[in-house]
Amino acid sequence: MDRVYVLLMGFLSVIIVNNFVFTKFLGTCPYLGVSGRLDSAFGMGMAVTFVTALSGILTWLVDFYILTPLHLEITRYICYIIVIAGAVQLVEMYVRKFAPSLYDTFGIFLPLISTNCVILGLCLFISIWGTNNLLEVAVLSTGTGLGFTLAICIMAGIRETLILVDVPECFRGAPITLITAGLLTLAFMGFAGMIK
Amino acid sequence: MILAGILDLWNTSWPAGVTILVLGLGFAVALLIASIKLRVEVDPKIEQIHQILPHVECGACGFAGCSKYAEAVSKNPVLIGKCAPGGKSTAEKIAEILSLQISDPGAPLKPVVHCRAHTDDKTYYAKYQGIPSCTAANALPNVQACKFGCLGFGDCTRACKFLAIRIVDDLATVNYEKCTGCAACSKACPRNLIKMVPFRHENMMTVACSNKETGKVTRSMCRVGCIACGLCAKQTPVFTVEDNLARVDYEKYLPTPQTETALNKCPTGVIIYIGQNAPAPRQPAEKPVTAKA
Repeated sequence: MDRVYVLLMGFLSVIIVNNFVFTKFLGTCPYLGVSGRLDSAFGMGMAVTFVTALSGILTWLVDFYILTPLHLEITRYICYIIVIAGAVQLVEMYVRKFAPSLYDTFGIFLPLISTNCVILGLCLFISIWGTNNLLEVAVLSTGTGLGFTLAICIMAGIRETLILVDVPECFRGAPITLITAGLLTLAFMGFAGMIK
Repeated sequence: MILAGILDLWNTSWPAGVTILVLGLGFAVALLIASIKLRVEVDPKIEQIHQILPHVECGACGFAGCSKYAEAVSKNPVLIGKCAPGGKSTAEKIAEILSLQISDPGAPLKPVVHCRAHTDDKTYYAKYQGIPSCTAANALPNVQACKFGCLGFGDCTRACKFLAIRIVDDLATVNYEKCTGCAACSKACPRNLIKMVPFRHENMMTVACSNKETGKVTRSMCRVGCIACGLCAKQTPVFTVEDNLARVDYEKYLPTPQTETALNKCPTGVIIYIGQNAPAPRQPAEKPVTAKA
């Protein structure tokens, strides 16, 4: 029971309290770039969730079974980048071959995400947090992706209605988007400290 | 001393280098195998077609973008003429790649705004202060007196990817030099004022009005509305009057002296030239003309 509680708290923590977009400002480029329309934002979010889960687990395995025993923690950055880029490429090829309809809906986002900071950030944070069992890693990395999906979908929903609003000329376009992002972050600050 | 330093560095760092190399090589080999085993056969024709498309991703063809259109057209050659920005030359190139002959695709379709009322010509009952969008304003009954004319909030301007349609004094105005004929504005207009018309000549004549009220009512709300007097239809069969509104048969239109007379005789000056470098529209008579119909 205790373990389930810890997992649940960790899951909620990365989604709401320590959301990567709102508290660590990682993954802001797709957050602002692909949030124009709700359906593409959701596709992007799902793709990010998939890639975070995949790369979080893989990099943790590499870290736990190769890098830590050899005392090569210093090479984490480079190794993680290799692992993430390689794995995402492999999965993209696989999906393209065996699930073309899935590839059509979110395949185009995959190569874009593989180099995104939210992925590498998550992998490095998992090492910093000192997580030491695979289940926990899986839950945390999936939660991070879902947190990103939450953030980008809220943003897309706001921006879709923002089109119909009479915004002062000097704020139109990027400025009002950035202001919205700031206000949204402020709103999520209300959760700060609820879960460590 | 330096040599010792380098040796020392080498001794401490070689495991890191080897690990990274092994990891990188492992993934390189895996990707190489995957690229051979999981190769997706793409028709080379699709690639070729995609290359010659204009890459403006406007969606005029009805597909999500140029690559989707290339895929669709290679399977279904009926779609060849659908690329509006590419026009005739692109259609010919696609046909060449697919080794097909195409029949004459006909005149290019360009948008025509069927209204010519600027701010001063229109009658307003009240000032609209809602959402600045035609679709929203159109939902209200009394934004302006004319229920058919241009609202001027620019839904068409926002739909246009080529900056080819602007709102000038509350009237949508097409810049035919920039227009590619993608029909985005025509779909955006909630009042269906913008129609796609085959441009057989550089300048086309049009009845720039959509008002289907009787002449008297039209007259009361707009200085430049069609009052359906039928003077133009008497000159040439190119013009027809139906539902209190004169229309041009764009398929039959030819610049003749009769059409010119019709344009000059029109009491409200609602028949105008449109197109690139079209002559400026005639100013309407200041005095109200009694409707004959």
